[in-house]
Amino acid sequence: MSTQEAIFEKVKRALAMTRERTAYPVYDSADFVSKPHTTGGTVEEIFRKNFAAVKGVIVSDAEELRAVLAGHGVKKGCCDAALTVMLQGLGVEWETSFDRARLDEYDLGATIASGAIAETGSLILRDRATPDRLAALAPWVHVAVLRRADIVLTLPEALARLGDDPYTLFVTGPSKTADVEGILIEGVHGPGVQIAWLVD
Amino acid sequence: MIVPAERAVGKQVQLMATCLYDAFFDDVARATVQVLEYLGCEVVFPEGQTCCGQPAFNAGDWVVARKVVRHAAATFSGSGPIVVPSGSCAAMLFHGAALAFEHEPDWPAVRELGARTWEVLDFIVSGLGVRKWEGECRKKIAFHSSCHLRGTGTPAAARLLLGSLRGLEIVEHAEPEQCCGFGGTFSVSFPHISANMGRLKLENIRAAEPDLLVAADMSCLMHLRGLAEKLGNPLPVKHAIQVLRDALSAEGKIK
Amino acid sequence: MNKVPCFGQPVDKFVATVSDEVYHSVHSASAIKSDKRRELLARDFPDPRRLREIAGQIKRHTLDSLDKYLPLAVASLERNGAKVHFAADGDEARRVIHQILQERGARKIVKSKSMVTEEIHLNDYLAERGIEAIETDLGEFIVQIDGDQPSHIVTPIVHKNRRQIAESFERHGLGAYNDDPETITRRARKFMRDKYLAADAGITGANFVVAETGRLVLVTNEGNSRFSLAAPRLHIALVGIEKIVPADRDLAVFLNLLVRSATGQQFTAYTEFITGPRADGQRSGPSETHVVFLDNGRSEILATEYRDILRCIRCGACLNICPVYRQASGHAYRSVYPGPIGAVLSPLLAGGDFARLADLPKACSVCGACGGDACPVCIPLSDLLLRLRDKAKREHASLSARGVPPMGGFAELAARPVLWRGALSAGRALNYFPLDLAPVPPLSRWTAARTLPEFRGGEFRRWWKKRHHE
Repeated sequence: MSTQEAIFEKVKRALAMTRERTAYPVYDSADFVSKPHTTGGTVEEIFRKNFAAVKGVIVSDAEELRAVLAGHGVKKGCCDAALTVMLQGLGVEWETSFDRARLDEYDLGATIASGAIAETGSLILRDRATPDRLAALAPWVHVAVLRRADIVLTLPEALARLGDDPYTLFVTGPSKTADVEGILIEGVHGPGVQIAWLVD
Repeated sequence: MIVPAERAVGKQVQLMATCLYDAFFDDVARATVQVLEYLGCEVVFPEGQTCCGQPAFNAGDWVVARKVVRHAAATFSGSGPIVVPSGSCAAMLFHGAALAFEHEPDWPAVRELGARTWEVLDFIVSGLGVRKWEGECRKKIAFHSSCHLRGTGTPAAARLLLGSLRGLEIVEHAEPEQCCGFGGTFSVSFPHISANMGRLKLENIRAAEPDLLVAADMSCLMHLRGLAEKLGNPLPVKHAIQVLRDALSAEGKIK
Repeated sequence: MNKVPCFGQPVDKFVATVSDEVYHSVHSASAIKSDKRRELLARDFPDPRRLREIAGQIKRHTLDSLDKYLPLAVASLERNGAKVHFAADGDEARRVIHQILQERGARKIVKSKSMVTEEIHLNDYLAERGIEAIETDLGEFIVQIDGDQPSHIVTPIVHKNRRQIAESFERHGLGAYNDDPETITRRARKFMRDKYLAADAGITGANFVVAETGRLVLVTNEGNSRFSLAAPRLHIALVGIEKIVPADRDLAVFLNLLVRSATGQQFTAYTEFITGPRADGQRSGPSETHVVFLDNGRSEILATEYRDILRCIRCGACLNICPVYRQASGHAYRSVYPGPIGAVLSPLLAGGDFARLADLPKACSVCGACGGDACPVCIPLSDLLLRLRDKAKREHASLSARGVPPMGGFAELAARPVLWRGALSAGRALNYFPLDLAPVPPLSRWTAARTLPEFRGGEFRRWWKKRHHE
């Protein structure tokens, strides 16, 4: 008998004496939605508020983005090929292929977000929509281009749309730690700055 | 915590005085009788009573605990309410005993015992329907909501009754949900932790500057007052039922 | 701290050795996290207790039907292209993982924080076989370079302060002494980058495995897990068989409760949903995903009255609220899992070696805050701790009995009213009293820190008699 079969058998035996198996509870996912984080405006307004609360930065046009990037001293970036036209004129030198050997040379990674969650202020990144996981992860600044129509209000809605992409990420604000004396430090292994560029 | 949904009510009550009060805190048992009688109850004290079994239960000696619980079940026969001025003994009977008897044939009898058991303040409010306490107590009190009251009606009952006394102010202290560190035999098998927990509790309570520390469990109070006294800074303590009784006495409503 | 002679319980002895510095770090961090958890749950939901109960029911349902969900999870994972393995115990898990690595010539590993890999002591095993496994979570990394043990399941270095960390960094060539937390973090960031890029494999645990969709869910804040799943070509996830939840929708229940309970955040910075190797066209990420399901005593626990402990989602809320943990800190528990969850789980996972950890369930004042107030899946922790005390007694585990007054004499008295009354009146009850207030160690351990009230045995009964029989 393989280990798998042996464990299945042990589990079956362990449960054999269970008089009454607990039923799956009837519940409404809406009860697990935070009301203060999902009310008081349109989906976009709520997203803006909650994204800002997790220290995300929202820009609505190239000019705004240019100013934010300049503020972080961004010079070199890596972007998805599909974004090259849109990202011209920002004062950034772009590459469209992330060279991991020069990982630390990139100040910025720009990717297409598959969506966002207003309730949690999260961006949704998918493997199939972003050509390189590292480009959205290694540079200090990450810009996600996000279509307004792709923002969902609640976490349950986002979970319902997970689909069959092999790797989906909900990224919520900058990478962070509080391991040293509980003091919050942003930008541990991932970006210290998360920017969402809202487009129609 | 398993708190019985429907419990025996009525004015014919049996008093469980608890082993600790039998040995140290007779006035709390006395106050319980006086208050219940003032409320029109007929109080019976089964003289064969000893203990609820909790010390052995918490120490892990369930064979002994069951022996003591069985004795309690035999002593407190009948179907009327059993009233006990200790949240922790009450919880032993409606929760702990149920655990200790899970695999025993007399589990139903023990559940029935639990379903008749009330902590006294909970009984006064939810069993007798009393919502207000007449009288006066010109004191700032801290109320220690002891751990075994978790999930029961006692904390709300205590606050309702004490809070309705004229002149009484309940001062809130930090970390109210933290255990005092008594824990039965825990207090002697974990002497460092128990004492440290108690000192923390005392610090939080003292910071609120009460005149008096009140609880619904003398075990916690025995530990806390003992610590305070040892530290050379005694803290007056009283069971809530004593406070209620004293208010009645002061107005001449009982002798 | 007062010093009384120590012949009590091991956890209590340990407390006497905890420095004030460690005590203050652990105590304040625990209190802050506990308050934050309560505050966030109350702010966001009208009835948090109901949500915890639903979460507990889903977990209990899954465990009660694990014979259905475990095969379902396996089928879903395999359908997604993950390779599934099983390990009966730590030894087999280590061998399975080693073999996967060996077959692919993998010699350098990056690890994302995982308690179950701590449980099987994976790093040491791999190191002995010439495989370098680097912990990438900042806290776990510091534990690793110090040759220490995590003292908390979520915040592993809660027992260390910045000065100690700065010294460790200096010792390990991560720059001159600097105890600024930001500098420490930046240095770790820089150091780790080369490790990620050079790694042949990333090893993680999983917070949840969704049976229906075969999704592994990982929650982290630092981004180290994503890096471990971006740079290397091989992903191995080690997962306890109890980590399964039925469906994607249940993740809303568990993510909401887990994150608030663990760190007092609404949501973690990185929440990853993985079904298998990277997508076609994706340049980074593993081309192979292996999931190793670990039993290691879990199926035995499943068969017992301790089944509910397998609901645990490893949030650490029970540690943070526990007054004993706050005094003792994690290392007092002599096992990978400290606090109330550890006091139940560790002796059970020890299996035949139960007696070695049978004292842990005693390290509890039975205050009930862990299960009653904190646990996001409503595990009746104090009931389980009490049952384990009974088990220890039945199995004559001597460590469990150390320093605990014997109850035999008490039972003789408490079951015999005549003896009881006689003892009360004569004051002899002192010798058999529950507190065992005899002129022997238990009494001295009471009086070392507290006074005793006046003994008034039988006074109430005399009053009663006078009042009712006159």
